[in-house]
Amino acid sequence: MEAPATSTRGIRPATTGPQSQRSSVASTVLQVTLPAAAVAAGLVLVAGPIVSTLWRSVLASDTGYDDWTWNNFVALALDRGIQQGAINTIVTGLGVTLFSAILGCLLAWIVARTDVAGRKSFEILNLIPFFFSPYVGAMSWLYIAAPNSGILPKLLQPWLGNAFAFPNVYSVGGVIWVLSLFYTPYIYLFVIGPMRSMDGALEDAARVHGAGFWYTTRTITVPLLLPALMSGALVVFVTSAGLFDVPLSIAAPRGIHMIPTDIFKAVQYPTDIGRASALATIMMLATIAFAVVQQRYINARRFDTISGKGYQPRPVRLGRAGRAAALGIQIAYFVTAAVLPIVALLMVSLSPLWTGLFRPASANLSNFHYVLFDYRMTQTAIANSLFVAVVGATLGVALGGLQAYFVRRRRTRLSALVEPVLSLPLGIPGIIIGLGFLILLIRTPLYTTIWIIIVACVAHFFPLAMRNISAMLLSINPELEQSARASGATWLQAMRFIMIPLLRPALIASWLLLFVILVRELGASILLYAQGTETISVALVILSEQNFGYVAALAVIQVVLLLGGFFLMRRNAATFLGR
Amino acid sequence: MTSRVGAAVTPEDTMTRLAPWIAALTAFVLTATAAGAQEAPALARLTGADKTPLQKLIAAAVKEGQVVYLDTVIQPATNDTLSEAFRKYYALPPAFKVNYTTMTPGNVITRLEQEMRANRITVDVGAVASPPWAFARVKEGRIMAYDSPEYAAYAKSFALGLGKPPYFAFNGAYFFVPMWNAETLKFTGTSWKDLLGVAPSGRLSTTDPTVSDSALMTYIGLRTIIDLPFFEEVAKLKPVLLYKSEIIASRLISGEDLLAMYGMPTRAYQFNQRGARLQVMSPKEGVVLLPQVMFILQDCPHPAAAKLWLDFILSEQGQTILAEREALISGRSGFVSPIPDVVPSIDTVKTIAINWDAITPDSMQKARAEWAGVFKR
Repeated sequence: MEAPATSTRGIRPATTGPQSQRSSVASTVLQVTLPAAAVAAGLVLVAGPIVSTLWRSVLASDTGYDDWTWNNFVALALDRGIQQGAINTIVTGLGVTLFSAILGCLLAWIVARTDVAGRKSFEILNLIPFFFSPYVGAMSWLYIAAPNSGILPKLLQPWLGNAFAFPNVYSVGGVIWVLSLFYTPYIYLFVIGPMRSMDGALEDAARVHGAGFWYTTRTITVPLLLPALMSGALVVFVTSAGLFDVPLSIAAPRGIHMIPTDIFKAVQYPTDIGRASALATIMMLATIAFAVVQQRYINARRFDTISGKGYQPRPVRLGRAGRAAALGIQIAYFVTAAVLPIVALLMVSLSPLWTGLFRPASANLSNFHYVLFDYRMTQTAIANSLFVAVVGATLGVALGGLQAYFVRRRRTRLSALVEPVLSLPLGIPGIIIGLGFLILLIRTPLYTTIWIIIVACVAHFFPLAMRNISAMLLSINPELEQSARASGATWLQAMRFIMIPLLRPALIASWLLLFVILVRELGASILLYAQGTETISVALVILSEQNFGYVAALAVIQVVLLLGGFFLMRRNAATFLGR
Repeated sequence: MTSRVGAAVTPEDTMTRLAPWIAALTAFVLTATAAGAQEAPALARLTGADKTPLQKLIAAAVKEGQVVYLDTVIQPATNDTLSEAFRKYYALPPAFKVNYTTMTPGNVITRLEQEMRANRITVDVGAVASPPWAFARVKEGRIMAYDSPEYAAYAKSFALGLGKPPYFAFNGAYFFVPMWNAETLKFTGTSWKDLLGVAPSGRLSTTDPTVSDSALMTYIGLRTIIDLPFFEEVAKLKPVLLYKSEIIASRLISGEDLLAMYGMPTRAYQFNQRGARLQVMSPKEGVVLLPQVMFILQDCPHPAAAKLWLDFILSEQGQTILAEREALISGRSGFVSPIPDVVPSIDTVKTIAINWDAITPDSMQKARAEWAGVFKR
């Protein structure tokens, strides 16, 4: 990658007067305090919701601060619904991890290691589902595959006959299916880099010694990928098990217990915050334990697939049948995860009365007109989502950037300790972050304002920015900054003219990533919104209780916003893909 | 009129050119002034000193600039009609905003309770079909005492326990009855008990009394006339749990569900106007009438506007709009339904008697637990 041009304009040469000394001292103070303040703010954002949830889980009521009890946990232990919910949640996490790992590795292998036609395009297209809202994905799959009214059953039933029963999407299997489609790009992103840089000579050596394709895959390729795959799988397990959006739309209507929806239900009337907190505490401790395991696993493994030896990553030459199969898998994934959901949303959104079948003759834009011009709540929600995404992404990148600087440029024991702690929110489900901030801030002026949602969103996702920028900082030699300082530049000048231009790709990629995530965020905002502070995702949940057409129209608008973010991000694809 | 290029422009020329604009502006100002001077219809009904309190209330509402309400029934198009009529009734400026959200009853109560816990009230008026909840909030001092002039027309409803002056009346009542789509099901039942054996497992929808008070009140009412084994048989059908009448109707139209235990006649009326063929049954045992109680929250941000809104909704005009657009049954004495075939008079509905006063938090929790036990939730 070509280094971005830096500029020395604006840097004044060093002087030796008292004013210069004062400026130098001020600059040094700033250099120390700004990153340290960002770290402190990050620690508060991490600790705030965790501590408040833990604390509330052992209180008997909202007001009795000295009335400690274990009753909330005892009640959970005796609740058969919760036990079933825990089993369903674990099964979902494992199922999603397994399916998305298989599919993600397969897609990454096809794109990175084979000679299949169009792999350059698929490299990007495979990422599109990553940018969709899981809630919208779930809604669209209900339109596609609901057993009695879905588009596919209604279209195919005349050919397949009544004897053929479509799998019931309103089930744990349905949740796993939808989540797997949307989590496949996570695994894909984790493994495509190592797969691309893998030394083909290792596989060649195996084949020369008589190993077949599957034997080589099992004994050479998979072990080489295992660290990256395991790392991705742990992330997928923890985040998919904690995701609230998909179970809300698919499992809840059938009364299927899942822990994230049980937490949400406990916050709803008749409200039992103690129960919600106890559930959240158990889930949070489990996810933190997984995060620790993940950190230890990553730290203990070597990830280098690039060695000092000369090598040439070569594509595997597939036969005609192999190429057709690989192309088929690629197309099937893209159609299933991206094209079908969008087509279904368009069909429903253009239908004035959704009957399970699209009737082009009666199609019109009335649902779009309604959500864009007639309903104040959806208009407000669109504006709020954009505000949350822009402000949240900006704050998140500023915070993450300064924290990354603290971690990478102050190589102390403290900074080594700080990084994993600041990364914790990534593993904690949004619904728990939202609950934590609800407990923490309900009696502050932030409650009922848009800022409580922004605070929760920044707290949940700033580690993404920190990690992205931190990775880029690793590749920038500190001598560049030191040279600028030695030439008389203040710290701010060194940042402005040297570091920020060099970090620009990571800063933009992080900002766009946070923007996209915050436009679709639901877990935290569903518990924190008030009248007038609804976001698009919250409005989707409210509308989903009213009319299929309205929810589909607003979902299409959200998809357009997210795809806009995606195409902007494509410009930073090289950075994003870690190349 | 021609203009000469390069010639000097005289004051007369300028006046001639501006004359039509000046005339139009003058006409606009005169019209606007006349309109402003026109008395609000709400004031025109009053005489002499009676006008003063309302004038003060209107002035205060104009200063507040908006009213915010939460509701479980009113659809956005109905809200638009109500808002427009409300502004006209009190001659409020077009900039006056009526902000609202429609949610499930459980969501409305959750939001209101959270704001009460936080002591940060952003909602002015709430409406939810749970009189016991409203009675309890009155006792806690969370609902504003406001003796609406419209309460005089609700004396009969108050006498039946369907409200509590000066805290709340009901802005409209509804009930749940079995509903189906005539395009997918031929059903001729006349009793609640006829629901069994009609739809196969998984094709019947019901609702969850553990999260919805309107569903809970209906369950409590039905349990007074139907024994538990009926509900156990319903539970065996693995019903889908839905929380909003719009979605209950939408799923019947799409064919996902065949029969809804808790359909709302209002939705059948609305969807059938758009081409659907939903039908409802009037069970011979009767229905549980759910009065949607409407109240102003203590410490709300726009109290004057809230009072005007409550007065308007309870007025003859407000009730007519709600009956026409939402098919709600009015509790106003002497109210004549504009669509009697769809919205019957409250006296003609065969209701299952509910003693709202006797419903306590404990009895509600007991009913929730019973339902959850039967339906394994």
